Amino acid sequence: MDQAKPAKSRALRVLGQIRSWLSQPSNIILLFFLIALTVLTLYPLLSMLTETFTIHTGREARAARLTAGTLSMYHFERLFATAENDYSWIQFYQPLLNTLLVSIAASLIAIFFGGTVAFLVTRTDLKYKKFVSGVFTFPYIMPAWTLALFWETFFKNVHIGLKTSNGIMASVFGVYMPEWFVYGAFPIALVLGLHYAPFAYILIGGILRNMDANLEEAATILKTSRGRVIWKITLPIVKPAMLSTLLLVFASSMSAYSVPVFLGSPVRFYVLSTKMKSLMDSYPGQAYIIVGVMILFGVSILLLNQKVTNSRKQFTTVTGKSGQISKIRLRKANRPIAVLLVILLLLFAVVPLITFAMESVIIKAGDYSLKNMTLDFWIGTHLEERLDQGDSTGILLNPKVWNALGFSLALAVTCALVAGTCGILVGYGVARKRGTRLAGWVNSLSFFPYLMPSLAFGAIYLAMSSRIPWLRGFLLLSLVGSVKYLPFASRSGVNAMLQLSGEIEEAAVITGVPWWKRMLRVLFPIQKSSFLSGYLLPLVSCMRELSLFVLLVPTSNTILTTMLMQYSEKGWAQFGNAINLLIILVVLLINYLVNKLTGASIDKGVGG
Amino acid sequence: MPEIILKNVTKKFGKFVAVDHLDLRIESNAFITLLGPSGCGKTTTLRMIAGLETPTEGTISIGDRVVFDADRGINLPPNKRDVGFLFQNYALWPHMTVYQNIAFGLENLKWDKQRIGNRVRELLEMLHIESFEKRYPSELSGGQQQRVAIARTLAPGPKVLFMDEPLSNLDAKLRMDMRTELKRLHRDTDSTFVYVTHDQLEAMTLSTRVCIMETGVLQQYAPPLEMYSDPANLFVAGFMGSPTMNFIDGRLHADGTVSFGHLAASFKGPDGFVPEEKDIILGIRPEYIHIGPDGELPATVYSTLPSGMETTVRLEADSLALTAVVFDDVDYPVDSKVLYSFRKAAILFDKASGKNFARGSLDRPHAV
Amino acid sequence: MRKLLSVVLALMLVLGSVPAFADIAADIEAGQGLTHEELVEKALAESGTFVVYGNTSRIATAAEDFAALYGIPTESNNLKDQEIYTKLRSETGSSAADMVMIQDGAQLTDAIDEGLVLNFVPASVKDLLDEADQQPALVHQYINKLFIYNNLGDQVPAIRNVWELTAPEMKGNVIFKNPESEKVNMNFLVMCTKDEWADKLAAAYELWKGEPISLGEYKNAGYKWVAEFLANVTFGKSDTTIAEEVSQETAAGKIGLFVLSKLRSSSVLTDNLTVAQYDGYQNSYSVEPFAGFMYPMYTMINSKATRPYTGMLFIEYLMTQEGFQPWGKSIGAYSPNASIPVNEGDLSIDVWKASLVMEDAAYILESFEVEDFILQHCQK
Repeated sequence: MDQAKPAKSRALRVLGQIRSWLSQPSNIILLFFLIALTVLTLYPLLSMLTETFTIHTGREARAARLTAGTLSMYHFERLFATAENDYSWIQFYQPLLNTLLVSIAASLIAIFFGGTVAFLVTRTDLKYKKFVSGVFTFPYIMPAWTLALFWETFFKNVHIGLKTSNGIMASVFGVYMPEWFVYGAFPIALVLGLHYAPFAYILIGGILRNMDANLEEAATILKTSRGRVIWKITLPIVKPAMLSTLLLVFASSMSAYSVPVFLGSPVRFYVLSTKMKSLMDSYPGQAYIIVGVMILFGVSILLLNQKVTNSRKQFTTVTGKSGQISKIRLRKANRPIAVLLVILLLLFAVVPLITFAMESVIIKAGDYSLKNMTLDFWIGTHLEERLDQGDSTGILLNPKVWNALGFSLALAVTCALVAGTCGILVGYGVARKRGTRLAGWVNSLSFFPYLMPSLAFGAIYLAMSSRIPWLRGFLLLSLVGSVKYLPFASRSGVNAMLQLSGEIEEAAVITGVPWWKRMLRVLFPIQKSSFLSGYLLPLVSCMRELSLFVLLVPTSNTILTTMLMQYSEKGWAQFGNAINLLIILVVLLINYLVNKLTGASIDKGVGG
Repeated sequence: MPEIILKNVTKKFGKFVAVDHLDLRIESNAFITLLGPSGCGKTTTLRMIAGLETPTEGTISIGDRVVFDADRGINLPPNKRDVGFLFQNYALWPHMTVYQNIAFGLENLKWDKQRIGNRVRELLEMLHIESFEKRYPSELSGGQQQRVAIARTLAPGPKVLFMDEPLSNLDAKLRMDMRTELKRLHRDTDSTFVYVTHDQLEAMTLSTRVCIMETGVLQQYAPPLEMYSDPANLFVAGFMGSPTMNFIDGRLHADGTVSFGHLAASFKGPDGFVPEEKDIILGIRPEYIHIGPDGELPATVYSTLPSGMETTVRLEADSLALTAVVFDDVDYPVDSKVLYSFRKAAILFDKASGKNFARGSLDRPHAV
Repeated sequence: MRKLLSVVLALMLVLGSVPAFADIAADIEAGQGLTHEELVEKALAESGTFVVYGNTSRIATAAEDFAALYGIPTESNNLKDQEIYTKLRSETGSSAADMVMIQDGAQLTDAIDEGLVLNFVPASVKDLLDEADQQPALVHQYINKLFIYNNLGDQVPAIRNVWELTAPEMKGNVIFKNPESEKVNMNFLVMCTKDEWADKLAAAYELWKGEPISLGEYKNAGYKWVAEFLANVTFGKSDTTIAEEVSQETAAGKIGLFVLSKLRSSSVLTDNLTVAQYDGYQNSYSVEPFAGFMYPMYTMINSKATRPYTGMLFIEYLMTQEGFQPWGKSIGAYSPNASIPVNEGDLSIDVWKASLVMEDAAYILESFEVEDFILQHCQK
């Protein structure tokens, strides 16, 4: 029948199909993001892949005895199969094992700690819930390395590490912690686990909160014990959330750089990210291979996660009608558990802040007497005459600090606006075209930047930008930040859009409300707090981001975190601590203000 | 008032065929129901006519305008089709008041404020929800939300109104009320209604014509009573009517007798009916099985479902299991013996194809 | 595809109109012949803010003084050496550095070969410098990292021979910065394996043990010392941290190898520290065979500079007594300019050169397998 049709009719038909396909904004959005994300994530990935075969100038060319620009398997042979001087073992296999150990441990700690707290908060009558849930996101809002820094300054003592001085725990309380507790795999995993525990809290808590209590009640009526109900009913239902947490925490922990540097180096404990950083300077080819390996791990977990959540045992949509959740009564255990939790949270979230404040006012390390304290590092002038260390003015009087703060804020706001808006659009497109291949691609692509280690992502963009003259400075930073934080925004965007039935929009389509007006007047206001959370998470993450930007920050316009890192590396501890405190306070303030003004919050951003 | 014509309309989602070569003509001013089990393609059909879904194949015209033609590449957006759409979940905008919900679409048509105000008030009055003007949807009951949704849909005065299972979220009593109102509304608004439901009673009671579909294929398109009494096939016969029609395996003989179970009877078909030897399924509506002392055949009561106005009785007669309806407030003890007889119409369905090939009556069935 | 891409990228480069390498080279050629006044005139004719990167914090003071002196808006940035090299490769335009102060002779040699940076020797100091301090790169100052120990308690590690640091009882008492995180430290360790220093280390071993060294698996005495030294070392985060930590009252028995100039820091308890070389100088012995190491800080013009003459003027300024003042005012920095004296109480540059391990870029560049060896021992 088709053959009988004249060619003109067939052309008209195809044209009509294309036109009607394009007349749907969701299609245009998906097409746009497919192209944009391919360019912005797959292109860097491919260019990185070519780097792993390319011999670079300088040391690399000389060591390989090849001319720069040659394509070769040299980097692979060297990194994977060089027995001499235990090279491969030292540069790759040992760090790989350490990375896996730390990342898995961090994920488990995050799931256990975050999950337990989520359970206690949503399913029991725990006391001080408000405080617990309020403070629990602090460790995530704070840069991870600040917790590491705190850990070291708090617990170090003369028997471990440099064995030269005592931290607060030893000097004030006389408690000397063993080395494994302060340096190496344990504290790294713990710090990362605590830092990312809010993910678990938010994801698992979200399901527990919505879970139909009937599911548990049904089991209870069948005379199942409490413990068995949790083990056999509750846990399997939150399993997908636990896997998502595993994915998020594992991928983040694997690319964490500063925490292993602070807590690993003193005991010669190296992970892939630290090795990648040091290789990047002299042997970039091998560094990029490490990046590739890290991405590979991330992608495999992502696939595993997808496989599990796509299987028949999908519980994420279990939402209950029965609003009355029977809260477990903790009875006598209530107060002890609550107090323990509050103490833990104080230790992880509040004590670090106090420590930073203390360390920013003492002149000579380790001496916490009043005569050793000064506010010079905050508001002093002409410090070079008195201290001869660090800058000549306290940070609050230093225009560079204010400049950096302004730049950081501008960058964070820009990235948040771009990533957040794109996240909503991606969410719209994916939700509207759910089930189509295009939507699936865009959905996966928009999550991909999460799996790219920040440091490597920055390095790749730096390499890219050196070939594109106009891609510089603020533009480059905002682009990188927006792409890197898109996963947060697109996740909350997709979740928020999926919660809205298509009819809500179609009701407006029927009366001819144009697309932009539907977005602005109908969809956005309804899911306002979810969407705003999609803006908040990039904002907060961006404010405290270091690794992603460290290579790209224009020298003349530094951001607060790179400034902090410089100070910290130079050993200007007091300035460093002061800036650290400043960053944390600014981020907490932003979080608080956004939360109060709009009702958006970090937990809505991740959990949706 | 426009007439809606679908020609050869097909919709595929990937490999799944949701609607398969559908031809349909909806007369102006009709109240058409698209009926079928979930997944039969009725909602897709409705959405295609409204322009919310793009057909893969075929043409659709509303009035004298072709709104969709796959071959000519025509596809008018929903707002150009001059239609209204009432959604199953009402789709009220939760952040707008009742007034704003109704007015939002009108503002968009560039009506002036005065006119919008008048129209909204007119509708609020018409649907008896004047007092809720300033409320938000979450502050309304399900029935009130439904009325707001209807008001919003009617506001621009669409010539065609589409409704996608609009009453399925209401409780039984409210549903009854709303049916009456919808039927009245159809008259008052003087427009064409296309209504999707899986509830055969709703289809029976509301519509001027019913279009019954299964797995994307049109089964029958006829006025409800015609469909009830002369269903095109087993599917339609089974779907229409509650309790369901009795389907009894049997055989038609060339001499015009039908044998089924332990019984046999001569079948009186329509004019020109020529019986031939074949396997059939005999369809008998429960109300055509009469129970009473004047019955001709013995049976045992298996169970009863008295509802006051009528009683559904499940009978066991030798190898046959039959459902009968008695229009009275009576009940029968379980396992008691009763007499029954077949009355009036019976339909013969071809066992192989399921098609209705003769409608007639059984003449005094008797045991063989 | 690759070809097409490179064409597109080349086009972009042209459109971006980056000043050509050759132009700057010609400018420098011209600049070398200019008098101070002519250089000032040329520099003042350049527009925009002059940008300088340095691997030293005191560049800020020098840049401020320079800006005040000539009325040229100047912006200084204190960066790590690696960051500077990375930025030299990637940054272009007027926000990029015009001039850099940078360390690590080995990497600098590569950077010069790559055409990233260009050397400029001001006419005013040409005659005051050794040829080796002018070519291939102008040395602004030498910086020394010395063995400095905590002088408290009864186990003071007052070493007279570097082999003492390899003794089992010193394990965990020696603090050094991770050679992976700062290349000059790596360079020092690599230099120890060069024949010249390996021989000296062998002799020092004999002096210490009273018997000739037995190398075992090691290629020479340098390898052996490096391996055994690293086995006893704990890595500190930065020289400042190491200085602070070693100076603590709780740090008796500790010895560090770090920048001498850190002693100026207010956060360092200087009284608790003794510099091995000073002690030897006062008590007439010398630490065998070296008391630490010394490396140059170079000044170079960015080959993509947009204000090359200001860069040259700043280099000229840095080489004067006034320009050296921010560093020269305290111990631990030594100008190659013979007319600038060292601080009172400090030793002369010649004494240091004789008693410290100096960088040899050519040897370091060829010795990447030595680096592997060092990495291996950093891990153990």
